[in-house]
Amino acid sequence: MSPRWLAGKVAAALLTFAFVLVFNFFLFRVMGDPTTQLARLPRATPQEIEKLRASYGLDKPITGQFVDYAGDTLRFDLGISQRTRRSVWTEIKDALPWTLLLVGTGTVLATLIGAWLGVIAATRRGKPADDGLLGFSLFTYAAPEYWIGIILILVFAVWLPVLPAGQQMTPGEDFSSWLAQAADVAEHLVLPATAMTLMLLGQYFLIMRSSMVDVLTEDFITVKRAIGLPWDRVVRRHAVPNALLPLVTLSAIQFGAVVGGAITIETIFSWPGLGELSFTAINAKDFPVLQGTFLIFSAGVILANLLADCLYFVLDPRVQAT
Amino acid sequence: MTERSVRDLLLGTWRGRIGLGMLGLFLFLAIFGSAIAPDNPDASSLDILAKPSTDHWLGTTEQGSDVFSQLLVGTRVSLVVGFAAAAISAVLGAAVGLLGGYFGGWTDRIFDSLENWFLVIPTLPLMIVLARLLDPSLTVLIAVIGLTSWAGTGRIVRAQVLTLRERAFVERARALGASDGYIIRTHILPNTLPLIFANTVLIVAVAILSEAALAFLGLGDPARISWGTMLENAFSSGAPSAGAWWYVIPPGLCITLLVLSVSILGYLFEEYVNPRLREQQA
Amino acid sequence: MRLRTIVAVLGAVAALIVAVTALPAGAQDDGGEKKVLKLGWGQDVQTLNPFVAQDEENFRLWALNWDLLVNFSPDDVSPAPGIAESWDVSKDKKAVTFHLLEGAKWSDGEPITSKDVKYSLETLGTNGLIFSGYTSNVTRVETPDEHTVVVHTDQPDARVIGGLFIYMIPEHVYGKSTVKELTGSYQPKLPLVGSGPFMVTEFTRGRIVKMERNPNWRGEKPNYDEIQFIKYGTTDAVIRALKLGEIDATMEVEPTAFSQVENVDGIEAVRAPSPSFTELGFNVCSKEICPDAKVNPGVQDRVVRQAVGYAVDRNRVNEISSRGTSFVGHGIVPTFYKSFYEKPAEDYAYDPDRANQMLDDAGYAREGDGLRKKGDVTLSFDLFVRSESPSDTQAAKVIAEQAREVGVEFKVQVISTDKLTELTTRKNDGVPAPDFDAFVWGWGGDPYDPSALLKLVTTSDIGGSSDSFYSNPEYDRLFKQQTGEFDPDKRKDLIRQMIELTQRDLPYLVLTEDPFLTAYRTDRVTNIERSCPKPDGDPFCQQVSYQPMLAIAPAEGGGDGGGSGAGIFVAIGVVVLGLLAFVFLRRRRGGGREPLELET
Repeated sequence: MSPRWLAGKVAAALLTFAFVLVFNFFLFRVMGDPTTQLARLPRATPQEIEKLRASYGLDKPITGQFVDYAGDTLRFDLGISQRTRRSVWTEIKDALPWTLLLVGTGTVLATLIGAWLGVIAATRRGKPADDGLLGFSLFTYAAPEYWIGIILILVFAVWLPVLPAGQQMTPGEDFSSWLAQAADVAEHLVLPATAMTLMLLGQYFLIMRSSMVDVLTEDFITVKRAIGLPWDRVVRRHAVPNALLPLVTLSAIQFGAVVGGAITIETIFSWPGLGELSFTAINAKDFPVLQGTFLIFSAGVILANLLADCLYFVLDPRVQAT
Repeated sequence: MTERSVRDLLLGTWRGRIGLGMLGLFLFLAIFGSAIAPDNPDASSLDILAKPSTDHWLGTTEQGSDVFSQLLVGTRVSLVVGFAAAAISAVLGAAVGLLGGYFGGWTDRIFDSLENWFLVIPTLPLMIVLARLLDPSLTVLIAVIGLTSWAGTGRIVRAQVLTLRERAFVERARALGASDGYIIRTHILPNTLPLIFANTVLIVAVAILSEAALAFLGLGDPARISWGTMLENAFSSGAPSAGAWWYVIPPGLCITLLVLSVSILGYLFEEYVNPRLREQQA
Repeated sequence: MRLRTIVAVLGAVAALIVAVTALPAGAQDDGGEKKVLKLGWGQDVQTLNPFVAQDEENFRLWALNWDLLVNFSPDDVSPAPGIAESWDVSKDKKAVTFHLLEGAKWSDGEPITSKDVKYSLETLGTNGLIFSGYTSNVTRVETPDEHTVVVHTDQPDARVIGGLFIYMIPEHVYGKSTVKELTGSYQPKLPLVGSGPFMVTEFTRGRIVKMERNPNWRGEKPNYDEIQFIKYGTTDAVIRALKLGEIDATMEVEPTAFSQVENVDGIEAVRAPSPSFTELGFNVCSKEICPDAKVNPGVQDRVVRQAVGYAVDRNRVNEISSRGTSFVGHGIVPTFYKSFYEKPAEDYAYDPDRANQMLDDAGYAREGDGLRKKGDVTLSFDLFVRSESPSDTQAAKVIAEQAREVGVEFKVQVISTDKLTELTTRKNDGVPAPDFDAFVWGWGGDPYDPSALLKLVTTSDIGGSSDSFYSNPEYDRLFKQQTGEFDPDKRKDLIRQMIELTQRDLPYLVLTEDPFLTAYRTDRVTNIERSCPKPDGDPFCQQVSYQPMLAIAPAEGGGDGGGSGAGIFVAIGVVVLGLLAFVFLRRRRGGGREPLELET
């Protein structure tokens, strides 16, 4: 990997991020004033509303606001949440680990299970097992992930109440040790992570399957088989690793969809991550938080794509950087 | 793989028949749903979250409305938004891909950056932000989804145009003094249309899912019933906790089946178009 | 080989985690030594800072943590001693002298003095988001000595007694920060210093708020040592928790869940009036005030509005829009205002025949489609309602349904709150030009003084909070008079006259009065008396008075809520799956029994 190529990629990523900044800012300034809500309070006079607008800096000319905004963002000052009055960065910092936990668990499980199922389907191509798995993955792709989540709640939290239906820990409990707390979180993670896994499963399965099918028809596999190696060793040692490559980069590229899924899944499970933070901010018209989460999501996806490019290059030096 | 006509694919394979059949059913419901609905889907009653019965085949909602009627009427929104948004996305994507790919230079570079940007930005957060800005309504939803989904089509069209541009018949036309507009219209566009079409059908599936997700998050058209708003109402009124499976399962199932049927057809079209493409590129 | 080990390890870890979870994870109960009242709520507070917080949940906490200058009596919600023990009105009625409690201390031991009162009234009263506006008539606040506060107003203002809904906060705590900081990201330190019986000692965002007994509390010792507010995410999770015994009570039950909870053994569900209402508002802006208003002239004809009043059955609106949990409305002063409420003479009992008669007599003849018309005015109105409120939408539909029967059409338009605000506050060159015929919306008032609600239909509020644009000089005159009337009986009479006017002119048809819906477990909580006001008020007197919370006591032998215990099944399930996976992979190892077709 030449430094020049890497520098080029990084520069492109930074440029994209800069566009996000500009876009983000103007988008939100066009939005309606949160202070119109105050007109409904019987005691807020027009003067008080004006004072409020000034305190949010909404009375400055727009270019002034942007300059302030750009400078602040680069210093990680993303403003103050209009709802909680804490810094947006604090809100994001508190929420991020929960989203990473959910998304990470879901992605890892989807990759592992998807790959495993993909291998099974590819090695039984054309047979009922293959068709069944194809149908299943198509169904989970077409089904809205929040609907799957609701059904999971219905089955596992209402009909057979074995798992909690929301939040990340049992409300009101004092935990005796961090292990007990971790166990409680794990219990609460099961349903949301399952929803997330099912949502992502289809894609991984399909990619792995077609990748495997391609690899299995390649010459070197036929050769290995011809010289008498046991079939499943051929599959496991030689076919699978080669088929895994596209899967790795898929994880990074899928990040955009993952973000979307995180928002809806966190919302229904009241999982306190970035998705839920965005959702409550939408309803409360909390612009600083919306701007901040949008920024973080975009930054995350840009980063993921950059990593995917690098990873792909590292894993398969045959690919020329275009 | 032998070449088959579109008709063969649609009617000859069981995949095609199922896809076409389901889509046909949904189209029928979109048009006639409100006419055949047994009850007024907006009518509320005191019979809330009631189990399915002879009066209400799929039970009632948290406001006492008939779930089955709402389901039928909701078909229209999903289909209208799905197709309209995909159409906008197709037009935008095609335009950008065609112009950028054909003219190259700065136009292409700008369009390409634009495409890259839209491909990188996570779509649901972007749609949420736009929909929230513009007071949710049917038109807003269509516009927002259309405006955020065009980049994929643009990419594909551009790639195709790049190969076509260098082909012999285009060179000849230019040598004969044909204008750019003429070339685009008579040579390039017809050869990219099948590709655009196949891709757009898949975008319809994405658009339907997007509308449902936005509606579920509360950004749907407040004056209309859609499957997404049904799920939103069900969830926020505690239907899952109440065990009201008749309210919670059908809307999601309809979304899934509609998306499935469109996807199946989309993949079929792709299958049809791709071998030809490979041929052309050879 | 490696894969198998990985699966085995994962399976073991998973089983371990689940097994630990399956252990009864009981809360640390000190064996009945500490008496804890556990309340559940759907959403918790966002911040404890009184200068910026806006949620209803905040009031539930603050009402237990702080006093007002003048508190409310739980018997009839009338003025009772708070930080001020007694008060006198000056001869010219432009000053009220408050004699403060002597020897009272804040929870941190500092004495409560007039400095704190002055600070609260001035600083919190001017800059607090929801506390501003009460002191608009106050010219100055004098503190001649540590235990005396004199509030001067430019006109006699009875709202000074019982109408200044501004909590008394400690100056020595908040005075340390500038107003800019206080209205910015200031987060008060815990424990939340106050003068009430409880103080917030723990605030874990998104999980729990704990309030413990104030060590320097001046009154009778509460029966509970600690009150916990536990967040459940959704109100039906709260109901579930209440049924399972994880919590003892809740101060918020959804109307749809209320009937469900009412019928559960061992749970008492209570419905009590609150000082808020839902109304059908009309655009009655005159041509002089709003020359460019976009409105159907039909709605500006008083007879039409009165006819609608008779045509709509408010009982039915209550039944359908709030499942019967609200109370029927009787004018803009809700029944909660025990000191000033009187059932209006003109109460618009459901009488569609009368409505039809009135409209016939006024010359609105029915056309072919059933709608009434007079000249070129057709009685077809746009009725706006907020999408955020399903109950308002329901109410609107009932109104539309019933009005149709007397030949008046209301076209229900569901729009966002922003859009509705836009329509009602629309201006043309600074002059109000509202664009609507009617809407359904709601207002909430303060516990004792109804002025905030009465003010909504004064001329001076046009351009501010008035969204009906009602302007009646006689009403304005009476309003001014009642604000200066210190005698409650005389004041009640003035208000009666005002209500006569608003019921006659009907800028608002008040449909229902919103309730406080609460529920508690009878096996956990005892000594509950419904007050605020007696005899059928809210058992917790939420947001109004902390007195009932002192009296509430834990019931004998109340057990603690068990854990879910069903984790055991999950543990078993995972272990079984783990074993199966193990077995499967083992078999596969056995050697190449799978033939493979490489052809399609």
